Amino acid sequence: MRTLAATCALMLAAAAAPAQRRPSIGLRADAFMMWVHSDTGASRASLRGPGFGGEGRIAVNGLLFGLGLLEGQLTPAGASGAGGAAPQLDLVQATVFVGGRVLPWLEMTAGPVVRAYVTDSTTERWVFWQARARVDAPIVVGKLGTYLEVWRALASQVNLPTGAGRIQGGEAGVLFQPPQQRAWLRLSYRMDDALLGGPGGNETMEAITLSGGIAIP
Amino acid sequence: MSRALTALALLVAATVRLPAQSANDLLQQGVRAYQKLEYDAAVALLRESLLRREPSALPDSQRARALSYLAATELFQQQRDSAAAAFRALVRLDPRYRPDELIFPPQVTNLYDEVRRSTKVLSVQVPPVTELHARIEWFTARLVTTSVQSVTATLARDDGTPVRTLYDGPVADSLAVKWDGLTAAGSLPDDGRYVLHVAPHPALDDGPRPLQVTLDITQVPPDTLPWPAPPTSPTLLPERTSASPALGSLATGAVAAGAVVALPSLFGRSGEATGARFAVAAAVSIAGLVGFFAHQPRPIEANIRANAPARAEWQRRVDAVKTENAKRRGSARLLIRAGPVTVAERAP
Repeated sequence: MRTLAATCALMLAAAAAPAQRRPSIGLRADAFMMWVHSDTGASRASLRGPGFGGEGRIAVNGLLFGLGLLEGQLTPAGASGAGGAAPQLDLVQATVFVGGRVLPWLEMTAGPVVRAYVTDSTTERWVFWQARARVDAPIVVGKLGTYLEVWRALASQVNLPTGAGRIQGGEAGVLFQPPQQRAWLRLSYRMDDALLGGPGGNETMEAITLSGGIAIP
Repeated sequence: MSRALTALALLVAATVRLPAQSANDLLQQGVRAYQKLEYDAAVALLRESLLRREPSALPDSQRARALSYLAATELFQQQRDSAAAAFRALVRLDPRYRPDELIFPPQVTNLYDEVRRSTKVLSVQVPPVTELHARIEWFTARLVTTSVQSVTATLARDDGTPVRTLYDGPVADSLAVKWDGLTAAGSLPDDGRYVLHVAPHPALDDGPRPLQVTLDITQVPPDTLPWPAPPTSPTLLPERTSASPALGSLATGAVAAGAVVALPSLFGRSGEATGARFAVAAAVSIAGLVGFFAHQPRPIEANIRANAPARAEWQRRVDAVKTENAKRRGSARLLIRAGPVTVAERAP
């Protein structure tokens, strides 16, 4: 937690340094196709399914506050091992973050993430504090750009006997903004890998996402 | 008797001293002996001066003077044939030479004129170096004859290829044959060795021999003006956008596409992933290509318009230099170096 606090303080200080600016709001809606690969050592399962999500953020005086939510329905794509076929489950993830744009091309945020895999009988709940860094690179300024975002959990826990290990991931994609428009479209690919504690396996989530957003100055 | 003894003594003394004296000294002593009417001594001294060879030989001007005094001395000694022989040698040496009528009496100059008329001599005089602008300046060769003589002067290449006939007609005394530096076709001659051939015609056995002079001709490149330097920045505003953004966009797209493909390897434990990422990587690559083509260098019309006066001024200066250089090239210079005049073979 001490590391998390230091990271947050650093980001807030760096982001707050620029001069006063008008607040701006950004809204985003996501539609994605998701694949989850679970390997507990005893069994391996793959699930996939569509999902939807959204994110809202507000930037005030260089500081960034936001929250996000995604939900998806995963059905088994194939299973093997002692566990037999994996059950259908729902994925729900909520994110709260705070941060800022340290450099024109670098955004750093941090905040808690709650992720839950819900079946009819059980709920596997992950809670972790995550630090994220995002690099934006324009291809055609104001129209076309790419970005790469990486994250890593600074602290994590899961309601499984094995406990939680490290959680990290990344996302990259291309963003298109029509000329003279505030709205934009984005196509991205995400990979998130969560290790279970001890000799346990891991849970990998990947998704291809089509997003649409709007910036309100 | 006493005069003969004196002459003999002088001759002996001169003969004894001869080897140590220069040809010029001998000439001066011979002239003084002539003036003192000591003809025997004069003849001996003058002949000796004429016999001297290089490096103490007489120059042609003094040689002509020695021959004049020798001929006059021989004539006063009643040796008319010897006097005529000396004058013939004088005519062949320099057909334009005339004994000074203030020094020599008419009987001497009359003999000279008589010998000159009967001795057919042709000579050519060319300047050792001539530099001329073709068409507007001249290379001049002076032809000298002792009597009226028909002469053909031709210019040919060293291998005999004719270049141009410069003169064909009579020469009464002397004639300046001029050449404007052009071939018969009106063009400049190539660099190389040429021969100026001067031949009397008809060619008679007892007539003068044809002469020739080698001419080394070189075209001197005209001293043209350099092109004015084209206007460049910062004088001119950039007229095309830079290519760097295009390459930057392409590189950005490539790196981002590579990152998409590499995400499972970078962050996944097993690297296991679906092929979905390749679709996104392809989209990112296409975006990079779109950026590459969108940033292709293109004209900046406003800057082109702003630069137009400077470019027009530069073009005006280029045109002026072109005109001046064309004028200079049109009057190319020739450098002509003449060799010695030699006797040519008679035509078969």
